[in-house]
Amino acid sequence: MSSNLHRERLETAAFRAGYLALLALMLLPLLVVVVTSFSGTGRLAFPPESYSLMWYVEFLDSVRWLDAFTNSIVIGVGTALVATLLGVMGAFGQEIDDGSLGSILAPLVLIPLLIPPVILGITLLMYFNEVGLRGSYASIVLAHTLWATPLVYFVMRSVFSRFDWQQLDAAQDLGAGPVQSFVHVVLPNVKHGIFVGGLLAFIISLQEFVMALFLSTPSTETIPVLAWTEIRQALDPMVSVVSTFLIVISVVGILLAVVATNLEWLSKQLS
Amino acid sequence: MSEITLNELEKRYGETTAVEDVSVEIRDGELLCLLGPSGSGKSTTLRMIAGLETPTDGEITLAGADVTDQPAYERNTSTVFQDWALFPHKTVLENVAFGLKMRDVPKEERRERAEAMLERVQMGGYGDEDPTTLSGGQKQRVALARSLAVNPDVLLLDEPLSNLDKRLREDMQIELREIHEDLEETFVHVTHDQDEAFTLADRIGIMDQGELIQVGEPTEVYENPANRFIEGFLGDTNFVGSEVVGVTDGAVRVETELGYELVLPTDRDPDVAEGTELTLSLRPEVLSIERNPTADAAEGAEQPVLADGSTLNAVVGTVENVLYRGSTVRYSVSVNGTAMFAERTGASTDALTAGEEIRIEWDGTDVLAFRADGSRVTL
Repeated sequence: MSSNLHRERLETAAFRAGYLALLALMLLPLLVVVVTSFSGTGRLAFPPESYSLMWYVEFLDSVRWLDAFTNSIVIGVGTALVATLLGVMGAFGQEIDDGSLGSILAPLVLIPLLIPPVILGITLLMYFNEVGLRGSYASIVLAHTLWATPLVYFVMRSVFSRFDWQQLDAAQDLGAGPVQSFVHVVLPNVKHGIFVGGLLAFIISLQEFVMALFLSTPSTETIPVLAWTEIRQALDPMVSVVSTFLIVISVVGILLAVVATNLEWLSKQLS
Repeated sequence: MSEITLNELEKRYGETTAVEDVSVEIRDGELLCLLGPSGSGKSTTLRMIAGLETPTDGEITLAGADVTDQPAYERNTSTVFQDWALFPHKTVLENVAFGLKMRDVPKEERRERAEAMLERVQMGGYGDEDPTTLSGGQKQRVALARSLAVNPDVLLLDEPLSNLDKRLREDMQIELREIHEDLEETFVHVTHDQDEAFTLADRIGIMDQGELIQVGEPTEVYENPANRFIEGFLGDTNFVGSEVVGVTDGAVRVETELGYELVLPTDRDPDVAEGTELTLSLRPEVLSIERNPTADAAEGAEQPVLADGSTLNAVVGTVENVLYRGSTVRYSVSVNGTAMFAERTGASTDALTAGEEIRIEWDGTDVLAFRADGSRVTL
């Protein structure tokens, strides 16, 4: 009995140690990136020979990097808006109408995730050339939306599955039309989920490289695209600075999501 | 005026039929209970009246107007749901005022009306509460206030009391009854609880397997059930298998599984023949129990039709079990190996004990008979 208990504890401890080691191994590169961004020399080396903020100053002085930064934010926000709208509407529509169209929606939405981004990138480039969208923000936003929509859709599916649909019945029964009942009753219940879905879409767009490489022009190039061009010329700590910014944005995003989903829990703890 | 007519209403989900050929006229101002076991289609019927489900076939009129294709938000019906479906992110007052807000009633007026409605259901002062913190009974009252606040032509109640405990449920039944008498509006109340239906209803509609079998006043459906299902569903009864052994003028003689031949008096042609299998229903309230059976009854011999048309039927059995239920005492009795039960009021002084020989008597006119397909034999 006690030896069993002992063994169980040992196994748990071993599992935790192994798990943490694996996690550390995966997170270590992030640490390297952040540390090297504070390098005082022009060489990308770990650990750096000296520390300074010179590459941050350089970044803030570079018009090209700042433009890329702006582009990434614009495209990210655009993607988040379009993908959230599509993902939420798709998941909502599927909940309220159990027709045959609904049953093929999930696999249909998934398709873009299964196609290699290189192929998507080339195809979209040709397609956008045809319709005259080449070089616009819209082309990259649409491409990223193809990837982000399924993620928002699946997040919302799970959010809606926890929603008490009788509330929608009650709202309509009390005279609320489709739009009113969605705004007054559904939305307040799922707004945290929508926020998380949108954030996910934003982060996906922020990081996407392959399709952006095909679709961007010098005036719309995003951070990953510019980073790639720069690395090909010179491997300096500027790349680390840019990466650090991306990491910080993603981490802040995740923290926001945690706060949003646990806001009620948090307020209950504080009250 | 807010009478409702359902005309050959039908609802199918793929292969399964939830509601089949339901036709009924619900009178203005009446309280109709739709009663049936779960899965009988009563909630689906209610949801079709509300507009929350679209009928596959048939039509619904409300105050004379065809509303079959009208969505829920355009119908002036209002539903109290089983789980109440209060909006958790709104206060109690906002919940009650919601319908008025959707009707563009000015803010101040809807606040006043919502508060008045909360007073009416004895929830005054709870306006600022979070509905999720309320007890079941309080939520039920808020849901009722929310539905009544929009001043509906028809109030639809979808088993709203089934999640309450017995005492609270009975209190709410009386309150609902009072509110109904006050408002003189049409109420349709769905329930699976016979007692609740008998307490509340002006008329009861009994549903089984998607069909509306009988609609009538409580006494009518209880005393004059249309088929065997209703007889069994509305109260406890003894179903006794039997076979017709002779039809004479004014009487049907049957051989029962109790081992006795019984006589059912009739004043018409009952449309049964020798060999027809019948199920007899002996309700406990028509049975009387005697101690010390006399020898002649034990033989189960001649049981003549008396001058007033009644017959005295009697069987002898052994008490197997005594179940004390407070107001009544129920006796399980074995009659020649077949189980029956009979009841006495708990107040009767000479309690019977297990193993005693007893005699059960009843008047033959109180017996209902059903054919093998469940249909009633008119005696």
